[in-house]
Amino acid sequence: MAERSFATEVQKLKLGKGETFHGEGILAVTKALLQAGVSYVGGYQGAPISHLMDVLSDAEPILNDLGVHFETSASEAAAAAMLAASVNYPLRGAVTWKSTVGTNVASDALASVASSGVMGGALIIVGEDYGEGSSIMQERSHPFAMKSQIWLLDPRPNLTSITQMVEKGFELSEASNTPVMLELRIRACHVSGSFTAKDNVKPAFTLAEAMEHPVRDYGRVVLPPSNFVHEVEKIEKRWPAAVSYIKKHKLNEFLGGSTGDVGIIVQGGLYNTLMRAMQLAGLADSFGRTDIPIYCLNVTYPMIEDEVRGFCADKRAVLMVEEGQPEYIEQALNTILRQADLQTRVVGKEVLPRAGEYTGQVLRNGLQAFFAAHAPGKAKGTKSDQPLDPKTQKQLTQNVPQRPVGFCTGCPERPVFTAMKLIQRELGNFHVSCDIGCHLFSILPPFNIGNTTMGYGLGWSGASAFNTPAGKRTISIMGDGGFWHNGLTSGVGGAVFNQNDNVLVIIDNGYSAATGGQDLLSSRADNTNRVTNQPIERAVRGLGVNWVRPVNTYDLGKMVRTLREALTTDVKGPKIILAQSECMLNRQRREKPLQRKAIQDGQRTIKTRFGVDADTCTGDHACIRLSGCPSLTIADTPDPLREDPVTRVNNDCVGCGVCGEIAHAAILCPSFYRAEILHNPTRWDRVRAAVRRAIIGFFQRLDERKRARYSFGGTS
Amino acid sequence: MKTVRPITIAITAMGGQGGGVLADWIVGLGQQNGYLAQSTSVPGVAQRTGATIYYVELFPAEAADKAKHDPILAMMPVPGDVDIVIASEIMEAGRALMRGFVTDRTTLIASTHRVYAISEKEPLGDGRQDPDTVKALAAKTAGRFIAFDMDAAAQTTNSFISSVLFGTLAGSDALPFSRTAYEKTIKNGGKAVEANLRGFALGLANSAGTTPAIPASPTPPIEPPAPAVAPLMARLESDFAPATHDMLHHGLKRVVDFQDPAYGRLYLDRMAAVHELDKAYNGARRGWRLTRDVARYLALKMAYDDTVRVADLKTRASRFARFAQEVGAKDDQIITITEFMHPRVEELCDILPTPLGRFILRTPWAKKFMGLFFGKGRRIETTSLHGFLLLRLIASLKPLRRSSLRYGVEATRITDWLDSITSAVPANYALACELAGLQRLIKGYGDTYERGMKNYATITAALGTFAEAKNAHKHIKILKEAALKDEDGLALSAALEKLQNGRTT
Repeated sequence: MAERSFATEVQKLKLGKGETFHGEGILAVTKALLQAGVSYVGGYQGAPISHLMDVLSDAEPILNDLGVHFETSASEAAAAAMLAASVNYPLRGAVTWKSTVGTNVASDALASVASSGVMGGALIIVGEDYGEGSSIMQERSHPFAMKSQIWLLDPRPNLTSITQMVEKGFELSEASNTPVMLELRIRACHVSGSFTAKDNVKPAFTLAEAMEHPVRDYGRVVLPPSNFVHEVEKIEKRWPAAVSYIKKHKLNEFLGGSTGDVGIIVQGGLYNTLMRAMQLAGLADSFGRTDIPIYCLNVTYPMIEDEVRGFCADKRAVLMVEEGQPEYIEQALNTILRQADLQTRVVGKEVLPRAGEYTGQVLRNGLQAFFAAHAPGKAKGTKSDQPLDPKTQKQLTQNVPQRPVGFCTGCPERPVFTAMKLIQRELGNFHVSCDIGCHLFSILPPFNIGNTTMGYGLGWSGASAFNTPAGKRTISIMGDGGFWHNGLTSGVGGAVFNQNDNVLVIIDNGYSAATGGQDLLSSRADNTNRVTNQPIERAVRGLGVNWVRPVNTYDLGKMVRTLREALTTDVKGPKIILAQSECMLNRQRREKPLQRKAIQDGQRTIKTRFGVDADTCTGDHACIRLSGCPSLTIADTPDPLREDPVTRVNNDCVGCGVCGEIAHAAILCPSFYRAEILHNPTRWDRVRAAVRRAIIGFFQRLDERKRARYSFGGTS
Repeated sequence: MKTVRPITIAITAMGGQGGGVLADWIVGLGQQNGYLAQSTSVPGVAQRTGATIYYVELFPAEAADKAKHDPILAMMPVPGDVDIVIASEIMEAGRALMRGFVTDRTTLIASTHRVYAISEKEPLGDGRQDPDTVKALAAKTAGRFIAFDMDAAAQTTNSFISSVLFGTLAGSDALPFSRTAYEKTIKNGGKAVEANLRGFALGLANSAGTTPAIPASPTPPIEPPAPAVAPLMARLESDFAPATHDMLHHGLKRVVDFQDPAYGRLYLDRMAAVHELDKAYNGARRGWRLTRDVARYLALKMAYDDTVRVADLKTRASRFARFAQEVGAKDDQIITITEFMHPRVEELCDILPTPLGRFILRTPWAKKFMGLFFGKGRRIETTSLHGFLLLRLIASLKPLRRSSLRYGVEATRITDWLDSITSAVPANYALACELAGLQRLIKGYGDTYERGMKNYATITAALGTFAEAKNAHKHIKILKEAALKDEDGLALSAALEKLQNGRTT
C-alpha cells in the first residue's frame, strides 16, 4: 500500500459537469485526463507528481468503468515508451514523472516517439523539481522539448488554466502529430484551488480494439528511410500545424495593457509570481490588472513568431521573465526580432539572475532594474525590501541552526550507515558510491558517508571504474526502488558480467519509500492490483551473484560482521548485502491504529520504547553521532555537577531498538534502557509483577534505609 | 495602485510536525467564511525532518465578486509582505525572520520549545544554540509576537501542536473569524476531533493570556542531616566561604553517596587545601572561582563511574518510578525495564583488587580468557528478580572499592591534577581554573572515556609550550572547546596547529 490512502481524493475524480472541484494541482490534472478521454496513463512516481500516480492506483474501479489502463511503469523510460500506443492508433495517452531526472531517463523513448509522430494525443506531464526544496540537479526540461521537437506547455498556475491546458494539450498533439509536454513547477503541483469540472469521457476507440485490429505503418518506424522523412515532416508539417493550432486557440495570452513602449514576456508558470511582484511595485492590482502589456507564454516551445513580432513591434524594450538557464526563450526572442529587423531591446538575464528560482523577491528586484533603465519613475521603490538590518541578520545567522533532512524516527536504513561508520573506524574509510532514495541522507550529518550519486539505480555503476585489484574494496548503495528501476541490469548484471569484486548494499525496505511508499515487485505486502513478493535475493542469484547475505538491518552486530566479511573475504566476485527491514513510516501507518484499537479493546498489548538513564549519561552524545534518530535528542542535565546536556529519548520513539544495539556494538555507556509497557495485563501478569515488586521492593527499602544513614536531609 | 490585498500567511515548520494539517485548516476556515483561499507547499525530501514552508493566501470573495475577476494569488511568500507567520518551533521563527517574512505588520505566532538540529546534538559538549537571542529579535521585529511552549501544551492536553497553533491563531484575532468558525473547521476535518479541540482550547486560552497558573508543588519539610554526615556539613559551613557552599554541598553529597562519610572527609580535606590557596590569591574578589571549579570536578572525579556505581544507581527505587514517568506508563500498566550494558575486561579489572586486576590486564592469556565472558553486550532486565539481584550483588562490592585497581589509578590522577592546579595558581589564577575545568573532557565509559583521556593528555602536554604565556588560560579554553567539537579530534588538531603557528610568527 502507498504511504497514504487516497480514498477521498478518488471521489473527486467522479465529479460531473458543472460541479466544482476543490483540491491540489496535480489531482486536478488527474481529473482533467479523465475528462479528456485518456485511454492509458503510465509514469514513475517522484515528488511532485507522486500524487497523480497514487490517486490513480487507488482509483481502479473508476478507471475500469472508463476503460482506462493505468500502469506503474518500471521507469520513466518504460513510461515514455508506453506512448508508442498513440503512434498507430487514435488513443490518447499520458505519462508522468519528476523532471529533469525522469526526462533524462526517458529521453531515448521520448526521442523515438517524437520522431515517429503520434496519431492519438500524447501528453507528458513533468513535475519540474527546480528551486526551493528540490533534491536534484538544477536543470531545465526545456531543451528536451527543443531537441526532440516536443511542444512544451507551461500554463499559469491556477487550476482552471492547468486543466484547460491538459485538454488543449491533447488537441494540439493530435493537430500536429507531436507529443506535448506539460511542465508543472513544484508549487503548482501542490497549489490548492478549484475549477469547474466536466464529465469524464470514455475513450471512443479502445485499447482492445487496437489489439484486435492492429494497424501497421512502416512510415512511423524509426529506421531508414523513415527517420529522415520524420525530420523533414517535423519541420514542414508538424511545426506549422502546431503554430496554427496555438494561434487559433489563443493558448498564449495577451494580458495587461495594450499600449505603452515597454512590455513583459513571461513563462505562464511564473505569471502569478510576476503579478505579485508587480503589485508590490505598484504596477498592478490584486486581480492582475495592469497598464503594462504582458505576453504570457502558456506555450514556451515553439515560439509563435507572429505573436512575438506583433507584441514587440511598438516597444522600445521588453522584459523576458524566464527561469533557469540557458535562456533558450530569450535567445529565440532575439533571433526572431533580429530576423524581423525590429530594434526592441530584450532584457532578461541582464536584470534577472541566471541561476536559481524566480521568487517574488527576485522578480521584484528585476522589475525595479528593468523599469529604472527603460521606463523611469514607473515602478515604486528603488531597491529590495529586505526588512532586516544587517546586524540582526548576522545575529540570526549565528544563532539559527541549519536543519538538513534526515532519516525518520526508527528508520531501518539508519543502522546500515551506523554499521558502515563503525566498520570504517575499524578498517579505515572506503569509497562509497550512493544512489537515489532516502538512503542518500547518509551523506549528511551525522553519518557523512558517500562520495557520489549518479542517478536512480546507478549506485553500483557509479563505482564500476574501481574494478581493479586494490587493498580495499568499494561499497555501493542501492535502494529497492533503484534496483527495480534499472539497478538490477545496469548495476548487478554489469558487475557479474565484468567480474566485479566489490560490495553492494541493497536497502530492501519493501517500498519505493522516498517517493511516497509505493509498492514494488519485492514489496512484502499483498496488493490486489499488482504482483508483489518477488524477492530481490532470487533476482540477484538468478543473475549469477553467489555471495548474497540477507541481514535484518536492526541487527547491528550482524550487519557489522557481514560488512566486515564482505570487505575482507578472499572470495572473488560481486558481493551483495541485502539490508532488510520494513520502512518505519509505512509500518507505523499500518500498525499504530491496530495497536491503538487493540489497547482500547482491552487486549494484552506491549508497547516498547527506549529511554536514557540521566544518572549514568555523561553527555558525550556518541550515541547521537552514530544514530541521528530524531527522537534521540538532548536535554539539560539533572546533575548539578555536570555541565553538558544529557541525551534524552523523546515521545516520538517507536522502540526500534537501534540505540540499544548501538550502545552494544560501539561499546558505549550503560545508559540506554528499553521499557516495555504492558497494557491490559492478564491476572497472571499482575501476580507475577506483584511478586517481583514485593521482593525487589524489599531489597530496595533495605538499601534505602542503609543510605538514609548518610542522608544530608532535605536541604538541597 | 490601490487594491484589496490578500491576507498572507506563512507556516514555517519541520517535516512531520503537522504544518500541512494547519495549512488545510486555514484554507478550510477561509473558504467557509467568505474567503477565496489558496495554499502551496514544497513537498519532497524537505518533509523528511527538514525545514519547510507552507504558504496560504486568503482573499475576500466579496471583493472578487465586485471586481468580477479572480484574484491572482502568489505561490510563495515575498519578504516584507507576510501578515501572519506561524512557526512550530522557535528557531523556525528565526528562520522566518532571516527570510524577511517578519516585519512590523506581521503577527508572529511561535512555539518556544526546541527541536534540536543535528549540529546542536552532535558535539561532545554543549552545542545548543541560543533561542533567547532569536526570541528577543523576534519580539523586536514582529508587529506582534505571541509565543509559548506549545509542544508542552500539546502534551498536557494529549493533542497535537498543530491544534495548539490553530487555537493561538484564533486567540490572536489576526484573522477575521470567530472561535466557532475555527472549531467548526476542526470538526469538519473529522480526524482526532476531540484531541484537536482540546489543543485548540489551550492555544486559545494561552494567546489571550488566561492560562491557569500551574500550582506549585508543596515544598517538603526540611529534614536535618543524619548523624553520620552532620559533622561534615558542619565543617563545610564553618570552614568554607558561603559562596562555595552550594557546589561543595553537591560535591560532598555525591562522594558520600558514592562511598561513605570517610570518603566525604577526604573530599573536604582536599578541598580545604584548594580553598586555602584560593583565599591566599584573592579568591574572595574572584567569586571563589577556583574553589567552585575544583569542587565540581573533584566530586565527579572521586565519584567515578565504575561498574559498582552503575549497578548501585540502576537498582534504586527512585529510578524505577522515574522511568515509569518518563515513558508515560500509567499505574495499571506493568513496565519492564531492560538495560543495555557492555562491561569489558577493563571494566571488570577496574573493580578487582589492584594486584589481580593488574595481572589480568598485563597477562595476554588471562585477558583473553576473561574476554570470553566479557566480549559482548548484555541486556539485563532490572525489573526481573534475576537481573535485579545480579546488579545488587555487584553493587554490594562497594566496601571493597578502596582496594580496587581503578581506585588507586584515580587517586594518583587526582593528585597529579590537583598538583598542576596548585602550581599554576601563583602565576596565573585563571589558568588554574581552566585546568580544573579541563576535566570536562573526561567522561563516559569505554572508548568515550579513553578519547577524553587522550584529549586531556594532548592538551596538558601542549601546555608545556605556552604555560608561561600571559594568556595561557585562554589557550586552554580554546583547546578545550575544540576538543568538545568532534570525536575525530579534527577541531582540536586545527586549534593546536593554529596555536603553534600563532606562536612562531
